[in-house]
Amino acid sequence: MRLRNSSMDGSDGSQLFEDTSRAGNQQAGPQAAGFPGQSLLSDPMSNLAMAYGSSLASQGREMVDKNLDRFIPISKLKYYFAVDTVYVGKKLGLLVFPYMHENWEVSYQQDTPVAPRFDVNAPDLYIPAMGFITYVLVAGLALGTQNRFSPELLGVQASSALVWLIMEVLAVLLSLYLVTVNTDLTTIDLLAFSGYKYVGMIVGVVAGLLFGKPAYYLSLLWCCVAIFVFMIRTLRLKLLSEAAAEGRLVRGARNQLRMYLTMSIAAAQPIFMYWLTYHLIR
Amino acid sequence: MSGFDNFNTDFYQSSYSVDDQSQATYGYGNADNPYNKPYGQYDYSQPMGYSSPGMMQPQQPYTGQIFQPTQTYTPSPSQSMYSSSFDDEPPLLEELGINFDHIWQKTLTVLHPMKAADGSIMNETDLAGPMVFCLAFGATLLLSGKIQFGYVYGISAIGCLGMYCLLNLMSMTGVSFGCVASVLGYCLLPMILLSSFGVLFSLQGMMGIILTAAIIGWCSFSASKIFISALAMDGQQLLVAYPCALLYGVFALISVF
Repeated sequence: MRLRNSSMDGSDGSQLFEDTSRAGNQQAGPQAAGFPGQSLLSDPMSNLAMAYGSSLASQGREMVDKNLDRFIPISKLKYYFAVDTVYVGKKLGLLVFPYMHENWEVSYQQDTPVAPRFDVNAPDLYIPAMGFITYVLVAGLALGTQNRFSPELLGVQASSALVWLIMEVLAVLLSLYLVTVNTDLTTIDLLAFSGYKYVGMIVGVVAGLLFGKPAYYLSLLWCCVAIFVFMIRTLRLKLLSEAAAEGRLVRGARNQLRMYLTMSIAAAQPIFMYWLTYHLIR
Repeated sequence: MSGFDNFNTDFYQSSYSVDDQSQATYGYGNADNPYNKPYGQYDYSQPMGYSSPGMMQPQQPYTGQIFQPTQTYTPSPSQSMYSSSFDDEPPLLEELGINFDHIWQKTLTVLHPMKAADGSIMNETDLAGPMVFCLAFGATLLLSGKIQFGYVYGISAIGCLGMYCLLNLMSMTGVSFGCVASVLGYCLLPMILLSSFGVLFSLQGMMGIILTAAIIGWCSFSASKIFISALAMDGQQLLVAYPCALLYGVFALISVF
């Protein structure tokens, strides 16, 4: 409307072109800024749109958080990552040399287990997660030195290791269910324990890369024995009954069954360690 | 969007003075519409330094009502000082949020790993610097004949995602993804040194291995230092440095092989 008016006026000689910038703003009303060069913030329509958009975004984020919390318990996971450097150092030492450690019990604080920061016996997820990623990268490196590397192989290694891990955790869960053990071991605890073997695997592969095949076999043997002892001593307190855990001989089919279960879980670790690394060292 | 105003107020206050009003008066036809006001009549409470309306030299006499400040649109308090007319818009860099001074400060923080970092430098998420560094890294790789931009971007994306998950789980306060991406991008700077060195000399000898290890250590040390100070995590610097070292190790693998 405005444009036609001004073009019909035509009396302004110095105006070569119509000032089209004002065309759209006449409908905005007295509330809006009369000049089109105003930024978006002053236009009520875009104000409304912005407010709606931001409320939509916050609603979406709330929904994501709520649903994510249903599948992956974030707060529980945070417990397993509450670690510090001293704890990680001590735990790595334990995984490689568990023979001198005396007290394997997890200390509690009013019914909840203490965070891993304060107790070296508590399981954590930092070491297994870092161990998994380091294992994948070291496997890539090992394959690279044998000229068998391609980036797809990294993905293949990662997914096959992950699948073996999941199958192991499921098998342990199934056997725990079948034996009907009353234990406070959660799935995440089992995941953490199964992930500790990556440390030994990395030590073996790195020794094999640096010093050759005999070094690989020697270090792998050492780490297998160490992880076997570690698992036995840790699981003993969780799976067996109190009396048997203290070392006294307790007769009974149930206790024997639990003993066998602990032994088999611990024995599965060295088998997996060898299975997942032997093809990396040729 | 709600943080828009806060973001703007952190910037230096532009002392933009509106002197060139004369251009604004062209093109006004016979205005009898009270909304047809020239620039200078808007009643802004901000110190824009509007000169008096007497500066206006209209080509033809206005028949409308000009000097009626009460009729004009009074801006709401939330309106920032930048929502003015076209000529008064802030310079492009300021509006885009690229503040060269802050970028330079952050770069210096990365380059001096021994100096303690200030926790507040990461308050504004700035992805302009990291973008420049990523492109520079790809360019130096290109100079040695490796066309691997895709790998650089892919690994950065996966690495940033992994660090974001890990830091959110490990720290008391959470982090935003932009902050993680920004820090990791800035600490990529020494890696550019490594790849440019690799253009001239081969990195596969003993000297190259030592240099690579030193640069990976430098990158991950600075990154962990910034993360620790920004997130107030105590006793976890080595724990944060290790995943950063893994990420930068992958970048180094690309540069070396």
